[in-house]
Amino acid sequence: MEPIIQVNGLKKLFGNEEALHDVTFTVGKGEVFGFLGPSGSGKTTTIKILTSQLAQTAGDATVFGVPVADLKQEQYRKRIGVLTDNSGLYTRLSIEENLSLYCDLYDEPKTRIDEVLNMVNLSGERKKRIDKLSRGMLQRVTLARALLHEPELLFLDEPTSALDPVNSRHIYKGIERLKANGTTIFLTTHDMQEAEELCDRVAFLHQGSIQLLDAPNVLRRKYATGSMRVELNNGQTHEVTQTDEGADWLHKQMRAKNIASIHSNEPTLGDIFIEVTGRKLS
Amino acid sequence: MTFSMKRALAIFQKDYKDLSRNLFVSSTLIMPLFFAVFYSRIGDGGVDITYFVINITFSLVAIFVQCALIAEEKEKNTLRGLMLSPASTLDILLGKSALTFVTTMILIVASSFLMDYAPQNLAVIALALIVSTFFYIGIGTMFGLMTKTVMEASLIVMLPFFFFSFSPMLLPLQNRFAIIGLLEYLPNVLLIDVAHQVEDGANFGAVGLELGLLTVWAFAAFVGSVVMYNRKQTD
Repeated sequence: MEPIIQVNGLKKLFGNEEALHDVTFTVGKGEVFGFLGPSGSGKTTTIKILTSQLAQTAGDATVFGVPVADLKQEQYRKRIGVLTDNSGLYTRLSIEENLSLYCDLYDEPKTRIDEVLNMVNLSGERKKRIDKLSRGMLQRVTLARALLHEPELLFLDEPTSALDPVNSRHIYKGIERLKANGTTIFLTTHDMQEAEELCDRVAFLHQGSIQLLDAPNVLRRKYATGSMRVELNNGQTHEVTQTDEGADWLHKQMRAKNIASIHSNEPTLGDIFIEVTGRKLS
Repeated sequence: MTFSMKRALAIFQKDYKDLSRNLFVSSTLIMPLFFAVFYSRIGDGGVDITYFVINITFSLVAIFVQCALIAEEKEKNTLRGLMLSPASTLDILLGKSALTFVTTMILIVASSFLMDYAPQNLAVIALALIVSTFFYIGIGTMFGLMTKTVMEASLIVMLPFFFFSFSPMLLPLQNRFAIIGLLEYLPNVLLIDVAHQVEDGANFGAVGLELGLLTVWAFAAFVGSVVMYNRKQTD
């Protein structure tokens, strides 16, 4: 897979405090890469470095094969979209006026406004002023702006943090469509469900270091105990291991039609994060 | 450094819509007209009073409005959005300055009209005023980039406001304090000097040095703005 982002030994110091320590990873073309970690773990710092908003202290970072310091050139800006936690919208202007400005800046036709507003479920709201919008609507307008120029690489910093489940679902569908079109997505989140659903690979970031990096299903299998939880019709639950003894017990209960449900004890990404770092994600 | 008229114009149009809905900044635009009416009723104060009002217009509009427009972009994190777009430094700085330039020009013409000021050589004065406007917009841009909020901007601009509005009043003291003689090279004082010479019949050739110095000031302010803007692109 052609690498779009390559990071090697990235380090960032703020005074004496180390925000990033020896961070190394690669994101391939068309991949949805999840950067997971609690607040303050270095997720936003990484995005800022990769979008040339912040200079690294040491290490190498390239995007499209170009050192991040050179990304300020017009031809690279057109290929990158960024959604950050700060909306960066003109509050006295309408949604349409905000997006219209960015259409001109990115040389996009104004017809794109309808397309992106439809994507974020805001089609009927284009005339609304930004300062009249809810936090969730703001988030969706910000995402619409990031999608306006159909970037090849999209940085999404907590894209659904302020959204209700219905609108989050709408955004997930949008991200899946982008992925299907070949967009590379670098997603930071502390929502495990979101990461499991959207990401091809995830990196666990804790105290500025990557603790674990792999595909969600590979991680789940790696940390699985192989046991399962069986709930019987009488309400009792049993942990069953994959042994001869466990198989006999399970067989017996099945023959007696005693089983109400069986759940694999496969860990969630949240469970794995706690096991690896010793702390919760959110 | 590339320049796109389409992008600069888009930023100008956005600023125009935004400013028309921003009472705090747009109400400032009335002030120069108020001063012009006030001083025109006092009587014919000549070139000095006219240029006192014009220098106040530069401070209140070219510096303050420009500073507030930039500071608000920083406060609301919208400047970052522009920086991350394909717009170049020149697109953004010229786009952000266009509204202030047009507004300053309109208010100077209106103030001059209210004060019955009709220069002997309109072309020389127009050029001097245009070059001066570039200088003051550059100062406003730099102060705007230095501040983080509009509130902070409205306090910090008091400094150039008092300096450029009232420094010519110190000139009579230069016989006692030689250092005050340096004020003669300030753009506000140079502009008044050009105006006086024009009233005495001077043409382009006669005020070439003063116009040249004004251009140097304007260029220095432009370079300062670009350097400061480029530094602000990275946290």
